[in-house]
Amino acid sequence: MKRLLILSAVLLLLTMGYKDKVDIEDISLSLLVGIDLDEENNLVFSSSSPVFSKEAKEKEENYVTEAITMRKSRDEDDKTVMALTTGGKTQVLLIGKRVMQHQDWFKLLEPFLRDPKNTLNVRIVMVDGLSYEVLKYAPKDKPRLPLYLSKLIDTAAKRNICVKTTLQDLRRATFEKGMTASVAELRKDGRLFVTGSALLDEDGRYKLSIEEEENRLLRILQQQTTGEFQFTYKAADQPRGKIFPENAYSFYTDDLSVKMKTDYADDKFKFDIDVKIRVVLSELMFPLDVRKEDKKLAQEIEQQFEKKFDKLIKKVQQAKIDPFGFGLHARAFQYQHWKPVQKRWGETLAKADVKVKVKVDIAAMGTTK
Amino acid sequence: MNKYAMNGITLMQYIFLIQGAQVGTGILSLPRVLAENSGTDGWVNILIAWGINCFAGWVILLTLRKYPDFALPDLFAHLFGKWIGKLLLLPLIAYYAFFAWIIMINTMLFIKAWFLPKTPGFLILLLLAIPGYLVVQHGLRVQARYAEFVFYLMMWVPLIFLATLKHGHWLHLLPVLKEGWEPILHGLPKTVFAFAGNEVLFFIYPFLKKKQYAVHGMLIANTMTMFLYLYVTIICFVFYTPDGITTLNQPVLSLLKTIEFRFVERVDMIFLAIYLIVVSRAWNAYIFCTVFSTSFLFKKQDHSSHTFVYFALAIVCVYLVKPTWNQTEHWMTLLSNAGMGIMYALPVLLLVYTSGFEKYRRWKAG
Repeated sequence: MKRLLILSAVLLLLTMGYKDKVDIEDISLSLLVGIDLDEENNLVFSSSSPVFSKEAKEKEENYVTEAITMRKSRDEDDKTVMALTTGGKTQVLLIGKRVMQHQDWFKLLEPFLRDPKNTLNVRIVMVDGLSYEVLKYAPKDKPRLPLYLSKLIDTAAKRNICVKTTLQDLRRATFEKGMTASVAELRKDGRLFVTGSALLDEDGRYKLSIEEEENRLLRILQQQTTGEFQFTYKAADQPRGKIFPENAYSFYTDDLSVKMKTDYADDKFKFDIDVKIRVVLSELMFPLDVRKEDKKLAQEIEQQFEKKFDKLIKKVQQAKIDPFGFGLHARAFQYQHWKPVQKRWGETLAKADVKVKVKVDIAAMGTTK
Repeated sequence: MNKYAMNGITLMQYIFLIQGAQVGTGILSLPRVLAENSGTDGWVNILIAWGINCFAGWVILLTLRKYPDFALPDLFAHLFGKWIGKLLLLPLIAYYAFFAWIIMINTMLFIKAWFLPKTPGFLILLLLAIPGYLVVQHGLRVQARYAEFVFYLMMWVPLIFLATLKHGHWLHLLPVLKEGWEPILHGLPKTVFAFAGNEVLFFIYPFLKKKQYAVHGMLIANTMTMFLYLYVTIICFVFYTPDGITTLNQPVLSLLKTIEFRFVERVDMIFLAIYLIVVSRAWNAYIFCTVFSTSFLFKKQDHSSHTFVYFALAIVCVYLVKPTWNQTEHWMTLLSNAGMGIMYALPVLLLVYTSGFEKYRRWKAG
């Protein structure tokens, strides 16, 4: 017992001086980090940290620095920020479009991947414009920007307006040969807008942007069917209406199932995708007896869907990317054919046959007839 | 009369001692090691390694069954005589001592890398040593109770991993055996070593009360380890892309880092801190084997003073050597080569020698 007491006393003495202690007052949490390229292709890092002080009028401190790497920029920040900058709680990583247009920009995020103190759950967002412009935005009717921004991305992703890509997802997509990355896209036009998703190619370069409707189709083809899927279409056989649209109707999905078949024939990959959707009508601008004419309406929706799926797939094939992850299926089911082309999957997919068949069931029409 | 009956252990305790000795820090990097060697088919490896180890454990028990009251030092003295027996024991002591030390150093490096980067290594080792000393000094029964208790205490931990499954792609596992058997066999030596731990049988077998269940217990322990490895490996393979998993040093910890609950953000930190208790069973088991043998050499009944010396030396060594990741990895490779000899060659040699020895004795007596 005596020995135990002595031991614990020694221990206490030793641990009191241990060197990893950091007081929370000495930490400046970079909740937002931005990366940009200026006109002369210099890297510009920016960060925004909350200020916990009653005396400070502004509750956010923002810094913009030029530096060669992100870790170096932390040095620059520490020269002026009140406390030590850390990335453990970063909520959103804003990356300027100019950065994303270059190959291998992903390397810049190295400190987030290597240092276990930094978070992997930071949301990655591409900014159409300059990210430090977004960072400086201080709306009067919103909570502090990091909270607002992370909430905005999360809720938009819930409605499938954009994809929500965390650093971990991005890392997965970057290393994965059978899939290319997609990230949320943001624009500052007075206010902040989530405009949809940005699709990247195999080297991480920005290729094309899609808006909410196509984003939903993307999510369906990725077989990620969580969240809400709402569509507003215009019926082809109805008059357009003078002022108010008389041919529009909206619905959301009640249940979504996606089945995929992977084949290889005539030196081409073939993907047959069966999408089964149960829809609930939420808006119908023209008179239609849903009880009797539900087949007609379902057919109409099916055609619209198939057309739009085809358009999206064409677009993606032209860009030689694979945000859907068809490559995963190719590897899993046609490994012999996948192996020789895995390094240039984008090109291979561009030549592949992708057919989407949609089957729509009208599950409910709502409370009015 | 069995001189170890005083400290006898139940079957459950026996199982958890073996299983505890097997599960160490290796599991944290196992999915990467498997993926490096055999791609996404690495998990098949675990099954094969399990089979090999069950067989090796069975061979060990075949020998020990003939001498139910002998631990390895007694056995050596009986088979080779007093002096040669002691001499032969020395390399084995070195192996067990070094093994325990390596597990502790590995743990220390993990702690340093993941949450206490600036704290000196010997200090962390000191923190590990104090509870370790308190457990090991008291003899095998206390240690066995500890091993069993820790198992029950930690049963919920693997459930955390399920939180990552919603981000997983089961497609990564297909096709099974995509490159045939060759890469699988290529990765086998490393996987086999992940099951190291059967060699504590040499020391704990004489303590087991119901010897008729020795083989069953060994099989159950190995199977539990196998399921744990399989579970963690498959979850990592499903979560990470096959092209990317090899870029991570400890995929298991990186995986846990991505889990976020509302009430706790850094699951990896908590996991690692809790997991220390699990790993402590492994070094405790090896330290027991070490100090048991050294006490035998010095003809001491009680091994608590040797335990103290062992931990003190371990801390001093870390203070002097200040091991790095690369050094430790190098030592691991050396150790796994030695382990091959002790886990597989030694049991077979012993079995052959003892059957010859017994025949010779009978012939001489008859």
